Amino acid sequence: MMPETTDVETINRRRMNLALGIVVLIASIPILVTYFILMASSFANQMITGSMVGQLTFTLRNWILFFEGKLTVASAAVYSAWDILRYILNTFIVAFGVMLVTTALATMAGYACSRMKFKGRKFLIQLLILLHAFPGVSLIIAVYALYIFSKEPIPSQWWTLYAFIYVIVARAALEIPMDIWIMKGFFDKVPWEVEWSALIDGASRIKVWKDIILPLVKPGIAAVAIFSFIAGWGALIYVLVFLPPTEKTLATYIAGLLAGGSLEVVHLPVVAAAGTLYLLPTLVFFSFVRRYMLQTSLSGIKG
Amino acid sequence: MRIRKASLLFFLGPALLVVALFYIIPLFLSVYISFTPMVDWNVNRYLTQFIGLQNYERLFHIVMYDPDMRAVVITTVVFVLVTLIINVFGGLLLALATYFMDEKMSATYQGLWLLPRMTPIAVYSLLWYYFFHSSGIGILNSILLKLHLIDHPIALGLDPKYLPWGAWFIIIFVNGLVGVSYGMIIFYSAFKSIPKELIIAARVDGASTTRIIKHILLPLTKWHFTFVTVWQMFSLLMTYAQTFLLVEWRVVDSTWGQTWALYVFRTAFTTTKDQGLAAAASTFLSIIGIVLGIVALKALGYEKMILEPKGDI
Repeated sequence: MMPETTDVETINRRRMNLALGIVVLIASIPILVTYFILMASSFANQMITGSMVGQLTFTLRNWILFFEGKLTVASAAVYSAWDILRYILNTFIVAFGVMLVTTALATMAGYACSRMKFKGRKFLIQLLILLHAFPGVSLIIAVYALYIFSKEPIPSQWWTLYAFIYVIVARAALEIPMDIWIMKGFFDKVPWEVEWSALIDGASRIKVWKDIILPLVKPGIAAVAIFSFIAGWGALIYVLVFLPPTEKTLATYIAGLLAGGSLEVVHLPVVAAAGTLYLLPTLVFFSFVRRYMLQTSLSGIKG
Repeated sequence: MRIRKASLLFFLGPALLVVALFYIIPLFLSVYISFTPMVDWNVNRYLTQFIGLQNYERLFHIVMYDPDMRAVVITTVVFVLVTLIINVFGGLLLALATYFMDEKMSATYQGLWLLPRMTPIAVYSLLWYYFFHSSGIGILNSILLKLHLIDHPIALGLDPKYLPWGAWFIIIFVNGLVGVSYGMIIFYSAFKSIPKELIIAARVDGASTTRIIKHILLPLTKWHFTFVTVWQMFSLLMTYAQTFLLVEWRVVDSTWGQTWALYVFRTAFTTTKDQGLAAAASTFLSIIGIVLGIVALKALGYEKMILEPKGDI
């Protein structure tokens, strides 16, 4: 599809652009089709694919059923409207918590890794790369054992709160190594002269970091914050493992609806509505950070 | 000096604490659990019993004699190798295509291909639940039915007629679509960091696009190629979240759709709740992870790339 022999004079940029555009578009069909069908089906009386075009009608019923906690038109509500709101709130709490913990720790440790000399610095920085790649699955058994162990001395009325805190920190821990790298990349770009002049004036390291350096790496902080929010928002495994079954998030709610592969009890377009609602915040936040993706991945690999 | 230490502790302390609590201690604890008969999360009862290598012997025994466990091993090998090739070369092709496009179009496509990576796992699984659904509403089934390639809906990931290939196809497809974007990003930014003058000079000298790719873009990004390959091998070996719901929702067969990592998770948390055995199985992942990681760090020369702080006072 690329012209065999062309030089700068005769190369037809527009034609190459068009050809590449079409090829990648064809390759993207699975993505486009699946996302479109999910979102469109949440507004249809039945799943789009299974029906003839004439039978499809536009409806908001799926969304209403979803917020009422019903799974089909005929059935009584399995969940209450309050349950659904609570699941949405829970998803938000986990996402927000993961964002706070990750951003705070990565901003502090990223600064130390970029700007401070200490014993074992190189070792630590390399360890972080290793940790980022390290299998969550070979840790989660022990992380859960620690959780059971540590919650025993806590009075049982606090267990739910403890579960939330634990799931937030445990999930954030998966993001932190990479995000320290990303923040380190942003701190590396701040000129040293800025810091020297402040330090020579006698300000403390923490004060310089807070008042002078942090405002200069705002884009980095924003990128890390949004990435970790998206990660926490989408969390499934950790939420499933650590939160009690009554405290669902949208992830575990959807996971539970289709468990066992049964279709008798759920109307699929209602699940599509739940999925679409769950997807929307990700789409919005992702559109903010898309342009940072290249920057962060670069500074992520190269020190 | 004391002030320096204090500020270092302020900056690094919290992160180090989290790393210790959620990586270092669990790593050792996990190996320890593999030497205990722990089941059903009965920490108090079993954590003090030491049974030596019994879990490893059991694991070895089922790998040798249990056909289901054999399936897990074969699936893992096939899954990692095939998806690795798709991810690395698919990522490379996408990066090349978007590199030669105009900026606006390439940004749109890259965003589109990054979407699966950003999508909540439950929603991403839901997309493929619809796609591969074994009834007529499944997207794949409805396409095949309309093209008259099949006369009744098929269960690609479940029907013994299509196993193991059907289940393999699904898990490789679903994971590959997430994985290619990683290569795409790394290769694309590597291409972008090559001085533009080099490409323009080659163009002026009459080099074709294919020659530019072959003689400039690819040779200059060898390091990135190794990096992406090693990194993807790593993550494919360890990944299980994308496949977990497909198995739970009966989209793919639980035997032929299950890799080693998913086997570890399900054994510990959903099926037999045999944490001793699961921990033993996970030890192998940890060892591979550590060895591969250290080799990669040395081979890729990471150490040289870490800048020294210039003027730390």
